Amino acid sequence: MLRRISLLTLVLLFLLAACGRSDRDADANTEGTNEEPFRVAIVLPSSTTDIAWSQSMFDSLKDVQASMGGEEALRIAFSEGMFRVTDASAAIRDYASEGFDLVIAHGAQYGNSVFEVASDFPETSFAWGTSSDTGAERGITNVFAYGAAANEGGYVNGVVASMLTQSEIVGVIGPVAGDAKLYIDGFIRGVTGVKPDAQVNVTYTGSFSDTSLAAEAAHVHIQAGADVLTGSAQQVVGAIGVASENGIPWLGTQSDQISLGPEVVVTNQVYDWANVIDDMIAKISADEFGGTAYTLTFENGGLRLEFNEAIDIPDDVKDAARAAIEDIKSGAVEQFSDE
Amino acid sequence: MTDELFTISTLIGILHSCVRLATPYLFASLGETFGQRSGVLNLGVDGIMLMGAFFAFYVVFEGHNLWVGVLAAIVVGMLMGLLKAFVSVTMQALQGISGIGLYLFGLGLSSLLFKTLIGSVEGVSGFRQVGIPFVSDLPGIGHIFFNHNALVYLAYIMVPVSWFVINRTTLGLKIRAVGHNPEAADTLGVSVNGVRYATMMIGGALAGVAGASLSIGLQNVFQENMTNGLGFIAVALVYFGSWRTVGVLAGSLLFSLVNALQLWVQALGIPVPSEVAVMMPYVMTIVVLAFTARQIQKPAALARSYERGE
Amino acid sequence: MNSTPTFISTGQRSIEDLFAHGISKPTAGHRAVNFRLNAPYVQMYDIVKRFPGVLACDHVDFDVRRGEVHALLGENGAGKSTLMKVLYGLYQPEGGRILRDGAEVTIHSPTDAIHQGIGMIHQHFMLVDTLTVTENVALGLKSSRGLLLDLDRVEDGIRELSEAYGLQIDPRAPVWTLSVGERQRVEIMKALYRGAALLILDEPTAVLTPQEVEELFVTLSYMKENGYSLVFISHKLQEVLAVSDRITVMREGRRVGTVSTKEMTRNELVRMMVGRDIILEQTRDEVEVGDVRLRLQNVSARGVTGQQALRDVSLSVKSGEILGVAGISGNGQRELAEVVAGLRPHSGGSVEMDEVTINDWTTARRTESGLAYIPEERMHDGIVRDFAVSENLVLQEHTREPFSHGIFLAFEYIARYSRKLIQDFYIKTPDIRTMTRNLSGGNIQRLIVARELSRQPKVLVAAQPTRGIDIGAIEYIYSQILEQRDRGAAILLISEDLDELLALCDRIAVIFEGTIMDVLDRNETTAEELGLLMAGVDPANQEGAQAGVPAGAQA
Ligand SMILES: Nc1ncnc2c1ncn2[C@@H]1O[C@H](COP(=O)(O)OP(=O)(O)O)[C@@H](O)[C@H]1O
Ligand SMILES: [Mg+2]
Repeated sequence: MLRRISLLTLVLLFLLAACGRSDRDADANTEGTNEEPFRVAIVLPSSTTDIAWSQSMFDSLKDVQASMGGEEALRIAFSEGMFRVTDASAAIRDYASEGFDLVIAHGAQYGNSVFEVASDFPETSFAWGTSSDTGAERGITNVFAYGAAANEGGYVNGVVASMLTQSEIVGVIGPVAGDAKLYIDGFIRGVTGVKPDAQVNVTYTGSFSDTSLAAEAAHVHIQAGADVLTGSAQQVVGAIGVASENGIPWLGTQSDQISLGPEVVVTNQVYDWANVIDDMIAKISADEFGGTAYTLTFENGGLRLEFNEAIDIPDDVKDAARAAIEDIKSGAVEQFSDE
Repeated sequence: MTDELFTISTLIGILHSCVRLATPYLFASLGETFGQRSGVLNLGVDGIMLMGAFFAFYVVFEGHNLWVGVLAAIVVGMLMGLLKAFVSVTMQALQGISGIGLYLFGLGLSSLLFKTLIGSVEGVSGFRQVGIPFVSDLPGIGHIFFNHNALVYLAYIMVPVSWFVINRTTLGLKIRAVGHNPEAADTLGVSVNGVRYATMMIGGALAGVAGASLSIGLQNVFQENMTNGLGFIAVALVYFGSWRTVGVLAGSLLFSLVNALQLWVQALGIPVPSEVAVMMPYVMTIVVLAFTARQIQKPAALARSYERGE
Repeated sequence: MNSTPTFISTGQRSIEDLFAHGISKPTAGHRAVNFRLNAPYVQMYDIVKRFPGVLACDHVDFDVRRGEVHALLGENGAGKSTLMKVLYGLYQPEGGRILRDGAEVTIHSPTDAIHQGIGMIHQHFMLVDTLTVTENVALGLKSSRGLLLDLDRVEDGIRELSEAYGLQIDPRAPVWTLSVGERQRVEIMKALYRGAALLILDEPTAVLTPQEVEELFVTLSYMKENGYSLVFISHKLQEVLAVSDRITVMREGRRVGTVSTKEMTRNELVRMMVGRDIILEQTRDEVEVGDVRLRLQNVSARGVTGQQALRDVSLSVKSGEILGVAGISGNGQRELAEVVAGLRPHSGGSVEMDEVTINDWTTARRTESGLAYIPEERMHDGIVRDFAVSENLVLQEHTREPFSHGIFLAFEYIARYSRKLIQDFYIKTPDIRTMTRNLSGGNIQRLIVARELSRQPKVLVAAQPTRGIDIGAIEYIYSQILEQRDRGAAILLISEDLDELLALCDRIAVIFEGTIMDVLDRNETTAEELGLLMAGVDPANQEGAQAGVPAGAQA
């Protein structure tokens, strides 16, 4: 009997520790302020520190919070690591029933869950991305959709890569085929636009989180002659480590990756969701619960290209990058401007 | 384009990748071999690896020597092994379930510690590739085998070391006996549970180093859940290798070879759909498992806790 | 090196000391002990051991001298094993004392027993299959090389011991490749190597072939000459008479008496053992032989390890007839029984019951159609060890009326039915809910016989039905088998005991290396003829003798 009990305790201990992971810790100290804070909940497929997709949104939320006046003005609750859709679905429903003003489902795979819950909670606002579908056709009015024109940053990074490469071979480390397609297509266009003979080698690891394989992919690209690398999703952390070790320039995307390779990360395409979030909050405060689809572009400031100030980037590279951005904004690069 | 795959330099590249990729699998599955040979199934390897990866990284991140990082991983791994032993040997909890518990525990705790102690993904400078003098200059072979970081070499050194411990020491004999017929071992005065504690700690130490090989050897970064289930594959490799160290070596190499191959196939632009390419290692594993279902060496008492009966 | 190791008489020493004194290097013919004949070596006084529902040892006294073989005789369930397990530290007695060389000792575990120089060979071997002989012996011992194994030295020791005591084993063979007899030798080796001066053998012959029994007896006599004390547990009278110096007879947990073997006759012993006279010679009524009930035509099958175990076997058994199958263990008997029972696929030929081919029938269907099977491995194939006695009694029939209604078991009926069988077949068990594993071998066999025969089968396959069980139970099983024959069942009786076959069977087939050498009428053959056939020698054509036949195989 005694054995049973202590066993139970241990199991509980295990579970507790495991739960420490997806704690929904709204910074929940309820101070008596005169005005009710705006409450946002977000469900993320990976960690808030993934240096990629999830982190870009989480950091933007924190920025918005800071600019609105801290916790008194904006409360944030989050569930990270929700790579299982069923878990995410449950979390979305929980947040909705807890009365959050806005529930963000930060993953294209959460679409069905969002629409299902949204129709049950018409007074709650939802947002999901990457998507442009707000469910209007299904008669749903309380869902926002958002996405990023990753091809724009991809194109600019491609131009940068073509300027940096000497071997005329560039390596791309993708996660799951199809997912990072926009970015990679844009990137290839950027490279070949400048150097039509340059070769872009693309590998997929088949996972968003397989850092080991992504690291090895970096080795493979380097051995296959690549002298500039890029890649997407949280898996790239390992690859950036390898790039650093080998002194190979890395072009980042989604989030600020300079800290991982201070000597090799040349540029970053950064997603800045702050404007999107601001706009959604404003709309919700005006009782408009959804219906808008947002896309981050260079034009609307949602996309930014950051240069690593710590390293010497030749001026012609910077100029070419800036010119590419201007071309995209002005529509000189067709196909990117059409939405 | 296919002929590119068969150029010497590509083949060397593939094998070089393969040797390096196998590192964490080797550490982890050798460790698991110890446990399973003594009759304890530890499905928590992945959790131990994460803890090892985190502590090694943290120690190095705080400015300590890389080997101190490895030591930290070993200590943490042994503690995790101790915990597993306590739960499934002393408390006789079901080994499968308690292993999953340990995995979740390691996953949760390493994430929590990472969040509180570091906060964001950072890089460190880990073990560097060092060519072994003279032999690394050998054509082909030199690059494939002797141009890696210290932990890669260590992983391969652990293969004969593990073999030796299991087959040539008194502890190894006890491990084999306890895994196969604990009653018989008990009647000869062998402490069944003692041996199992020992193997859990050895396995934990090796799993810890497996984690360290990722965070301060191959990737030089720590990220939550960075093992991505690698520890579970390591458990499968033990079955694959029929509980023998050479078998585990062969399994790790084969699995890594197919992985390396698929990366190279993609990098060289050989027209194989990437969905097919990424499945190759798993398909391969299943196929080989199906054909090598030799179970002679399987420890008969695997996953059975032992209690002396009247 | 000390040519007369003294560790045994100064048993306070640890195993490590034994090693230091060169236990691994005994010289052939040395005396294990300086002994004074007739001095009691180990004494047990007033031992009481109780199990739920049984008093297994009821104030029992027992002693062993140096250089003697002391037999412990009694029917199954008499408490022999229990008494010796107390001595070996496996059971803690409720009362009593143990003395060694006149001084009281406490033995709480087998490890303690080993320290006291006591070794025990269990009925179920305690060996690690995957390890070699040497590794099994070395297991748990301190190595002379510290952390590293010293298997080469252990191996030398094994070779010397095996020479000294006629224990032939290949030290490098993995245990799983060994025969039962060889495994037993490994067990003895383990005890000797650990410096046991007293060796307890629990029914050591139950699992052996006749030649192996011979070899064991030779080993025992060497050991005895060298001053070892041996406790020989058995219920076989001939063996006890042949090998022992003194005999202690036990019955129902009590000691009936201790006698000198020389002064005893077989019949006197039987009376002590069972409390009455026993007649094994069965009276056979002549019965009308009917139609063929079971027919095998050109049946071939593979054995456990994939070897060709049966080749072109053709046999037929008629209603009211007992067909015996004689042969040395391992010549295909087991496979033959399993093929008929439907437990093993056969690769060629056909099996027919009542002229209907049943090749692809499941075991369940065969059972339903009137086939009964008493398996050789009764602990393994005959019962579910962890089931209650009553559950094992209705194992095949529990899904049918009146044992169950729909999906519900009829517990009332099952209980009543079980009690009746227990009474009718004299199964000794505390309760119908007792775990079957706690029954003695003879009682487990009675249980199986009760279950199989109570169904009034048309065909009965009995494989080694009396192996390892006591004489009282044997007598009973013989009478039951004959009763079934008289009732009109067709019986296939597989046995290694020629006396048994000659006593019971109408015809006897001899199997050798998976082929039927000949089928002979009981009245027209002799044990000698059968023995030669069993060894693969055709007496009609001695020239055709097969190579590699062990001498004495016809025993
Ligand atoms: N572990 C046990 N639990 C319960 N009863 C037991 C156990 N071992 C033996 N017995 C019972 O004790 C009695 C003596 O058994 P045992 O010593 O095995 O007899 P023997 O060796 O003479 O055949 C039997 O009635 C048996 O059923
Ligand atoms: Mg017994």
